[in-house]
Amino acid sequence: MMRKVKLPNIQKWNKYFTAGLIMTSVALFLAILGLFWTPYSTTAMSAAERFQAPSLMHPFGTDNFGRDIFSRVMKGMGTTIFISTLVVVCSGGAGILIGALTGYFGGIIDEVVMRITDAVNGFPSILLALVVISLMGSGRQNLIISLAIVFTPSFVRIVRSEFIRLRDADYIMRARLMGVGRVRILFVHILPNIFSTFWVSVMIGFNNAILAESGMSYLGIGVLPPDASLGKMLSDAQGYLMTAPWYALAPGLAIVWLVLGFSLLSEGMRRNP
Amino acid sequence: MIKIENLSVAFDGTEVVKNVNLEIADGEILGVVGESGSGKSVTALTLMGLVSQEAVLTSGRVLYDDVVLAQAGIPRDKALYRTYQGSRMSMVFQEPMTSLNPTGRVGRQVEEMLRLHTTALTPEQRKARVLETFLSVGLKDAERVYDSYPHQLSGGMRQRVMIAMAIILHPGLVVADEPTTALDVSVQNQIIELLRQINKEQRNAMLFITHDLNLARRLCHRVAVMKDGRVVESGTVEEIFESPKEAYTKRLIEAVPSRAGKATKVRQENISIQGGKAQALGEQAVSENILEVKDLNVFYREGGNSLFSGKKKKLVVSEASFTMKRGETLGLVGESGCGKTSLSKAILGINRDIEGSVTHYSSYPQMIFQDPYSSLNPSKTIGWLLQEPLRALEHLDKSRKMTDKDREAAAFDMLHRVGLEDKYFDRRPSQLSGGQRQRISIGQALITRPGFVIADEPVSALDVTIQAQIMELMRSLQEEMKLSFLFISHDINVVYQMSDRIMVMREGRIVELGDTEEIFTNPKEAYTRQLLQES
Repeated sequence: MMRKVKLPNIQKWNKYFTAGLIMTSVALFLAILGLFWTPYSTTAMSAAERFQAPSLMHPFGTDNFGRDIFSRVMKGMGTTIFISTLVVVCSGGAGILIGALTGYFGGIIDEVVMRITDAVNGFPSILLALVVISLMGSGRQNLIISLAIVFTPSFVRIVRSEFIRLRDADYIMRARLMGVGRVRILFVHILPNIFSTFWVSVMIGFNNAILAESGMSYLGIGVLPPDASLGKMLSDAQGYLMTAPWYALAPGLAIVWLVLGFSLLSEGMRRNP
Repeated sequence: MIKIENLSVAFDGTEVVKNVNLEIADGEILGVVGESGSGKSVTALTLMGLVSQEAVLTSGRVLYDDVVLAQAGIPRDKALYRTYQGSRMSMVFQEPMTSLNPTGRVGRQVEEMLRLHTTALTPEQRKARVLETFLSVGLKDAERVYDSYPHQLSGGMRQRVMIAMAIILHPGLVVADEPTTALDVSVQNQIIELLRQINKEQRNAMLFITHDLNLARRLCHRVAVMKDGRVVESGTVEEIFESPKEAYTKRLIEAVPSRAGKATKVRQENISIQGGKAQALGEQAVSENILEVKDLNVFYREGGNSLFSGKKKKLVVSEASFTMKRGETLGLVGESGCGKTSLSKAILGINRDIEGSVTHYSSYPQMIFQDPYSSLNPSKTIGWLLQEPLRALEHLDKSRKMTDKDREAAAFDMLHRVGLEDKYFDRRPSQLSGGQRQRISIGQALITRPGFVIADEPVSALDVTIQAQIMELMRSLQEEMKLSFLFISHDINVVYQMSDRIMVMREGRIVELGDTEEIFTNPKEAYTRQLLQES
């Protein structure tokens, strides 16, 4: 029996999706390249090259220690994307698990979990993450954990509402009649049907994670030096806004580029399920 | 006088209406019949100027009393249409729930027609006119209806409100697009009667769109049959139904389940079923029961499973007792809300809120649902769907272990049995038509060889010709596999075609149970007689 591998239908890609894909691909390429190679060292300082304006040698200029900003943006993007990805994977996974169980089975556990998520949603998310960090201490790992906790409720809600919608669908009722086990119904019969909705929320969540990570690092409680992070670079650049505006511009533009790319990608997916 | 001349309408370059010519004289009811996708609704929407912007008129024109409303090559004149829509032509849609605004009182919504199109009336006069129209469409408690929201009215009442809205300005043309399809049979008849009466009083031209030939026959003066965007035949009701010329029309008429056509078929079936039974099971097994239901009460829990909402139990089926024999088809008829589906779910154990006893003598009874679009998991392939019951069974019963190859072979075998080719194995439900999906549903229910299957309105959502095919398929599979069907339907003619015995339900109770012929020739209950008359 021949099984054809289905390629995405290119004609159906809309311009949002295409633009988003190009933007995120460029960002991802630079970030991954930054793991192995950057045009200049990201840590080597040079007093002679401090505050150089953008030029062919240094496309984004240099910073207060004479480091190449383009190289540091590449590294910083890598950090930001890495942290955001882990945050979304953790909170999305927890969201699927909790949302599926509460949505499908309902009852008292559902009620209790929902009130907890209400409580979490009631706090401003940055404030909540701050509380978690101040309890556990700063650093990359704790940043991921705290942001994942903050992001989980929104995924729980989306997954739960989809499971509630589908649990009484005719085909699920029939699967139950066939004697299909509960775990299999949850994760083999229902889960694939919520992916189109879920991916869009993952993209939106990813954007929020990028912004949250940048915000936390900007406040100095995220990534610790000498690691580069877009938010950390922004806060470093703050003092030189008047003398070296390109220093703040580069990480700022990188954040906008990333967020816009993923926004367009999710919009494209939403319009073309 | 409405004229549609040589009309062709295309979406994205494909013509869905092709060279259609129709004429409706004042005071005449023209029925347009056809299966879904035949272009009948697009024709009506084009006539009304309501067809979506993507539609392009590729030829022909629409005339209303010699005024050209629409013509090929000329963009739609919205201002002209606005002077006609509502006041001189109006439309009644299929779904009375979604055609009324759920947030507004229905009286105000009907009154809006007057506010928009007449300037001379005071608010009091407008209300009086609305109440008067409500009375004329048979809404007796007009004052109460005026102040009601749509959800407070029944489907039939909502459709009456829609009709009131359509006729309040005495338009010269009323288009009714499947106005009774979403309603129960008895309500259906009242609405048909109402349309006839309105037509008599107001002398307006009516375009009645339906897939149900019986309705067209009862209401219309003339009928046009559409297929694949073309009018294949048109003429007076007598011409079409007594001496149809086209093969397609004949097929449509034959496919309508009726009591007349069955006599010979029944006899054949009885012989073959009895023959099969005698061979396979012997004399003794014939009387063996496959299902026994005793004093069954079924409850419905209101208020959901939220922690803080109060729980109310409502009795939806009371004191149901019956037995079913092996290889038998028991028909279950009744109007919607009479407890048919609740009873079937209780029998299968989906609803556990019951008192009394249900005893199965078959393993893993299955169910076939009405809506072919929601009863197959859209994210799976057909092959996967057909194999899933076998995988589930293996999990429950280790002795039925199969190799992957055997399971795949069984799925292919079932695919052939339900009349589909190999190529469908790797497709997804969205790539199949309604009839094909219902075939897969049947295959999925039967692949584990259950002795007993509940079919809940399995053909109600299908076109008539497909209906006939699916019923034929169910009958032949029943013979092959020695199945017992509990066949649920609101359509007593469909039940008649399928069943050995018939059970009539009303308001949660079984009011009559007997052999099919017995019920049809000699019904004991008044309600059964009423059902028979209305169909």
